[in-house]
Amino acid sequence: MSRAAHIPNLGGARAFVLHRPHATVGAISRQLQAIGLEVVDCWPELPAEALAADFVFFDVDLGFDQQFPWPRGAAPMPTIALIGSEAPGRIEWALAHKADAQLLKPVGNAGVYSALLIARQSFAARRQLADEITALQQRVAERQTIVRAVTALSGQDGVDDERAYAQLRALAMNWQVSLEDAARRVVALTEKEAGLDQSHRA
Amino acid sequence: MKSRIEIGVLYSRSGSYQLVANACHAGAMRAISDVNADPASGIELVAIERDPGGNIDRYAPLCDEILRQSSARHVVGAVTSWSRKEVIPVLEKSGAALWYACPYEGFEANEHVVYMHACPNQHLVPLLAHVVPRFGANGFLLGSNYIWGWETNRVARDLIADAGGKVLGERYLPIGETDVSRLIEEIKATKPSFILNNLIGTSSYAFFAAYADLARDDPHFGPERCPILSCNLTEAELPAIGAAGNGHLSVGPYFRDAATATDETPASSFEASAYASVMVLAKVLAQNPDAGFAELSTAFAGTSFATPFGSITVDPQTQHATLPVEIGRISELGFERVSHIERVAPDPYLSRYDRARTFGRARLKVVS
Repeated sequence: MSRAAHIPNLGGARAFVLHRPHATVGAISRQLQAIGLEVVDCWPELPAEALAADFVFFDVDLGFDQQFPWPRGAAPMPTIALIGSEAPGRIEWALAHKADAQLLKPVGNAGVYSALLIARQSFAARRQLADEITALQQRVAERQTIVRAVTALSGQDGVDDERAYAQLRALAMNWQVSLEDAARRVVALTEKEAGLDQSHRA
Repeated sequence: MKSRIEIGVLYSRSGSYQLVANACHAGAMRAISDVNADPASGIELVAIERDPGGNIDRYAPLCDEILRQSSARHVVGAVTSWSRKEVIPVLEKSGAALWYACPYEGFEANEHVVYMHACPNQHLVPLLAHVVPRFGANGFLLGSNYIWGWETNRVARDLIADAGGKVLGERYLPIGETDVSRLIEEIKATKPSFILNNLIGTSSYAFFAAYADLARDDPHFGPERCPILSCNLTEAELPAIGAAGNGHLSVGPYFRDAATATDETPASSFEASAYASVMVLAKVLAQNPDAGFAELSTAFAGTSFATPFGSITVDPQTQHATLPVEIGRISELGFERVSHIERVAPDPYLSRYDRARTFGRARLKVVS
């Protein structure tokens, strides 16, 4: 595993603060600028260029789904919820947006730096987990393909299931692809050659 | 008629780090008397003094006492980061400001604090950038067991890794602890290229003495091969270290130049920084005697201040001073200047740290 960059180079990162004009925005901006970030404040909508932001702070008290240029919970960057009222409905809404960190209002002289680091790390962990799940789901979905490939290979003379599976693995290694990809190729080849004499197969 | 303005002075005149606190105290008091003696200054400063005696639990109550029992809205004081963090809640509650005249570990930019000494990009980063190509990149890290040592060593771990080196050990002692025999054994066993010393006060003095003994037994540990590096060591503490300090390195915004020094020249960067703090504060108050913490940022914008560091600015965004960076080699009771960089802008969060620029190339391997 490569060493994580420990000195968090936040200099030049861009943060959008989605909050109506208020002292809270000033307090957050001051801290962000002191840390070295560029700050864009906006209300009531996040502009399209927010898609390229490194961080988004969003108000929970008056927030609503249509403010975001992405579907609920699908922010492509770490987000930080700005919570004033702790009404359960509002917290539920912030949770639905999968905020990576939170900051309680009123915002004082501190809190933004830890929110940035926590949000960045939990966003990265969440994204890594999601990528792993997607990869696993794809593999699970390919189970049937593997069964079909093994069946196709074992259809040849004197090849039992076990040897067919070993053969499939060897093919995957030769082609330098995953077992699932190799299975898909075998199935495709088999289907293409379905009309031909099986004995002519390589 | 000068307007009379009370300011707090909060230094521990006794305790394990009293030499540093007394240096700061001397600088602050001398600046107060210089401001008062200057007919052009327009203000008269009155020091409201409290002495926590090196007891961490006395800082917050005494700071509160200054702010309640006098009209002071500004306090010059605190030496350790621990004590600074103790008084911050009091400052926030009372709407007051602290003028902090010591190097610290960074990662803070409180609008109630003005940081008048170096932060890591003004001490540790340039120090290791200087040392790694000359001595090697493998470090042994020491610290007193509180936030200064923890955080400074944490940054050092990253810098050492970026320089292609290894951290061969990292050890902490309680503040005031003087039994350093185990540290010496470990250093002897691991043979690092340098030792980063974030011990403070009496622990630091004991370490210098024991390390000099080690160097007498094994020349590898002489300062010309394996120096002790400090980010907070100044002339103020050299008398307590004596000959054991010779040849070792420290970094700071200022070392006293014996060749050009007069009676007015501050004896150390602590004294210089506390002096500068009062001078900057006096200029702000002369413009607006009611200026509180909220007015500081505006007062700093576009203004420069005459200080013992030369003409300096204070970054309105972070309230940290732009300072020179000097590396000095201990020679008897002073420092020989090894390098000097003019005006290094503060970067308390190391947001602009660049590994390649600091260590010459992406990963530097030093063959020693």
